[in-house]
Amino acid sequence: MLKTILPRAAQRSVLSASRAGPSKLSTAPAYQILRQVRRGYATEAEDYDVVLIGGGVAGYVAAIKAGQEGMKVACIEKRGALGGTCLNVGCIPSKSLLNNSHMYHQILHDTKKRGIEVGDVKLNLAQMMKAKDESVNGLTKGIEFLFKKNKVDYIKGTGAFASEHEVRVNLVDGGEMSVRGKNIIIATGSESTPFPGLEIDEEKVVTSTGALALKEVPKRMVVIGGGIIGLEMASVWSRLGSEVSVIEFLGQIGGPGMDSDIAKQTQKILQRQGLKFKLNTKVTSGEASGDVVKLELEAAKGGKNETIEAEVCLVAIGRRPYTAGLGLENIGIELDERKRLVIDQEYRTKIPHIRVIGDCTFGPMLAHKAEEEAVAAIEYIKKGFGHVNYGAIPSVMYTHPEVAWVGQNEAELKEAGVKYNVGTFPFTANSRAKTNLETDGMVKMLSDKETDRILGIHIIGPNAGEMIAEGTLALEYGASSEDVARTCHAHPTLAEAFKEAAMSTYSHAIHS
Amino acid sequence: MRVTSVLRAVSHGRTPLIKFIGKRSPPKSVDHTPHAHPASPSESLPDSFANYRSKAQQHGPLAGGGGSRNTPSAPISSLTYGAVGGRAGRKLGPVQPKQGEYFDRNELPIRFRRTAFTEAEMEAIQTGGASLYG
Repeated sequence: MLKTILPRAAQRSVLSASRAGPSKLSTAPAYQILRQVRRGYATEAEDYDVVLIGGGVAGYVAAIKAGQEGMKVACIEKRGALGGTCLNVGCIPSKSLLNNSHMYHQILHDTKKRGIEVGDVKLNLAQMMKAKDESVNGLTKGIEFLFKKNKVDYIKGTGAFASEHEVRVNLVDGGEMSVRGKNIIIATGSESTPFPGLEIDEEKVVTSTGALALKEVPKRMVVIGGGIIGLEMASVWSRLGSEVSVIEFLGQIGGPGMDSDIAKQTQKILQRQGLKFKLNTKVTSGEASGDVVKLELEAAKGGKNETIEAEVCLVAIGRRPYTAGLGLENIGIELDERKRLVIDQEYRTKIPHIRVIGDCTFGPMLAHKAEEEAVAAIEYIKKGFGHVNYGAIPSVMYTHPEVAWVGQNEAELKEAGVKYNVGTFPFTANSRAKTNLETDGMVKMLSDKETDRILGIHIIGPNAGEMIAEGTLALEYGASSEDVARTCHAHPTLAEAFKEAAMSTYSHAIHS
Repeated sequence: MRVTSVLRAVSHGRTPLIKFIGKRSPPKSVDHTPHAHPASPSESLPDSFANYRSKAQQHGPLAGGGGSRNTPSAPISSLTYGAVGGRAGRKLGPVQPKQGEYFDRNELPIRFRRTAFTEAEMEAIQTGGASLYG
């Protein structure tokens, strides 16, 4: 009789209990039987609290955070290594090459005036690449360790939605499995935007991925796109001996967000280092069939056409969200016109338990933005609230000198009709920069004319990428320039330039 | 005139804009109603967000109108979408359909549907259990 009123899935558990101890079943209170019935309805494999699709910066940080919050979590990654673009073919390997190429360049051109005479200096590109790979491997293995520490199940494979709660995974080692999640977070990142008409082969026509792994220094390199990625890679190969030309469609380098004063100064400094720039120039077509890559150029505002040739062409015109093969059509989640997944303020898609973080949705495509979102998304799931301040996300370009900014630039403030004060301080007047013989650059601060609240900070100079942390903190806390100016900064440090720029914004700098 | 200058003039001291506001504590209320993401270029969400919710909410705990039959529909803003254990199940009201509403098991997530017969089970039924001894 009991069998007939129980669901089929429940029968096995009830009957097995009865086989183990029939007397228990006969004397069991009603609630025990009910509990077994309820268990019978559950799926056989327990659902994960959170399933991450993508083990890049957004995905792995969310997975670790979820593990720390005591959630049962799985992270699906198809690359075979964690860390995504940032660790494997982006921020980290490029920083390795930028740092080491800078040292090489400095030894060749800069040590003599410092009293260091070096003999025969040779480039060993293979070793430079090996050093880069060792950094990358060490960091990706570090994430695997953190996964184990935080009890994250790492699934190596390609995930695609089978239904709203189920992700089917094509495993890297062969075979297939299914993962079910109460919450699923898409963190599939982005890929380089291709240039129409130029086929990427990662040898002659390369994206940033190929530019990080060239086997020899090209005699000439042409870079399409004068944004951060283009200029960093241009710097690396220029320092190693390549003749590099940068083609930019807009009238200034640096991409969106960089203050125009800073962009102009950056261009001058990079030109002095040997980079050639063609601004306001459009690449109309490209041809890569022979030994060299030929690009047809046209001045954007109508001018004479010209052809440029190079052994290697780097396409760095931006990145686009990567969502191919995700099975979105199976669950009906929509993309916007730029192929970004549409989400609300809590990273939810229209299906509330499916969230999206990182490069494949709105906001700047930056690793640190993705990390912030990862933590916030897990907090929304676990606690019901999270925090990301999109007005205080710093940007850094790791050229030499570095360029960094946070908040709004002058053009944006003008457009918004905000009245503001400007304060600047050059590194030529900073004692530490003088002793380091690195005096290029300045700190520029913008604050509200009425309240003195800091609205934007723009730095070009040595260590700008580290210094911008102070600016971001000030912006996050809603500091005034006077708050920063009255905060004691150690002497002699580059950070004193930051303080003096703040002094210059609300009053006067001492040393200029 | 700058606020800091005014404050200095009044108090003969400076009051920084940065103030310690105490330990961070969870907000007392959070509006979970879907809004456009702050970094979204458009300031609105597609209709699909509301449509999906209204469909998913017809019977289940996401229901805007899924409250008790005796109480008016709970406002959407009071609901926690997608939060694990955001609210106790009993607080979400009875699961009985309203008058005139009917559940279709096939509309529910797969885990609530009847377990499908396996090939072996179907064969066992068709052969009167003989296949189990084959």
